[in-house]
Amino acid sequence: MAETIDFSRLEIHRKRSLPMRDFFFRFKEELSLTLKTPESSLSTEILEPNLHRPGLALAGFTEVFSNQRIQIMGTTEWFYLESVGPEKRREIFDRLKAFPSPLWVMTHNAGPHDELLKMCKEQNIPVCSTARETMDFCTELQDLLEDWFAPYCSVHASLVDVYGVGMLYVGESGVGKSECVLDLVERGHRLVADDIVNMTRKGRSIIGKGNKILGHHMEIRGVGIVDVERLFGIRAIRNAKKIEVIVELQHWREGENYDRTGLDAINTEAIGISIPKVVIPISPGKNITVISEVIAMNMALKMKGVDAAKLFNEKLIETMKGKTPSKDATRLSTEVHE
Amino acid sequence: MVSKELKVTNEAGIHARPAAAVVETCGQFQSHITFTKDDVQANAKSIMNIMLLAAEFGAMILVEAEGPDEVAALEAVEQLFEDRFRQE
Repeated sequence: MAETIDFSRLEIHRKRSLPMRDFFFRFKEELSLTLKTPESSLSTEILEPNLHRPGLALAGFTEVFSNQRIQIMGTTEWFYLESVGPEKRREIFDRLKAFPSPLWVMTHNAGPHDELLKMCKEQNIPVCSTARETMDFCTELQDLLEDWFAPYCSVHASLVDVYGVGMLYVGESGVGKSECVLDLVERGHRLVADDIVNMTRKGRSIIGKGNKILGHHMEIRGVGIVDVERLFGIRAIRNAKKIEVIVELQHWREGENYDRTGLDAINTEAIGISIPKVVIPISPGKNITVISEVIAMNMALKMKGVDAAKLFNEKLIETMKGKTPSKDATRLSTEVHE
Repeated sequence: MVSKELKVTNEAGIHARPAAAVVETCGQFQSHITFTKDDVQANAKSIMNIMLLAAEFGAMILVEAEGPDEVAALEAVEQLFEDRFRQE
């Protein structure tokens, strides 16, 4: 029997570099970049998702200088260079020649000083200007770079947005993941991906996406390949969703203990992030779709701070304190048997 | 049919976690097992039934088992009570 996914042993990938040419042409509109050096200077590579303000290096302190990062020249740096005059600027950039960076960016559309341009030309490093304001530019660039360098992996699973809760279905082949997903879509929930889900860590969350080639196609045994977007319309799909619950579908096993109270949440670690997990035993005639909706709603309640199982148990313990016997409990239990 | 009266020995009484332990233990047997407290009878394989007994610390529960493995079932339940439902 095929084992279900072991999330602790996923093969995690990470992009090692972002070639400058790719970066520039991909993001130049988004970041309002203009190149101030010849196009041939776009031969560098970005190796880490961090930015650096080179103020101290310009002032002469180079013992610690993160020159391998993108250098951001804000108003402070620009005015400093302006204030020291051409002679000193030449001296500064002569010294910095030994510290190549992947890119220098001038914010506020400031024109780079000739001495900086000269150094970069010699190093064959690009210099750009952006119309954006420094902090705004840094926040956006940082975000883009973090996305690019984020750890990611691909799993055999299906991802559906159920009432706004991202539910990742895992389980051995043939357990009925696709059928469950199709049923959910039919009831108005939104498919993100079936069969292959690419998971990327973003901050403290895991974002799931489909495969570009597969799109929102699904394979249904006995039917073949169907296009969910065309069949059910745009409302039935979405491109990416934060994964909030992992639902493991399992064939019913005699003697296996399933969670009865919901008090002890199980979590699974995926790419270093802990995600709640629910194991659902499947048996013929079981309506997994309705159970899925309940899981989603219960999770939405928990995210709002309402834990039904915990509240119920607290109330029960409170009832048992200092009572012998409770008329109330007697009445309730009689009702159960009627 | 075998039966025995047992005392709830854990301080918080049979709340959700002990109830889950009861259901888990009883579920392993084929016999029909019931818990009776204050004339209210509960199916020991149903967690909601067991919780509705609201069996507090010191309460006496009549455990009855009937079926092919009734003796073993009763022993297991007795052990569970002795172990304070494996809670504390």
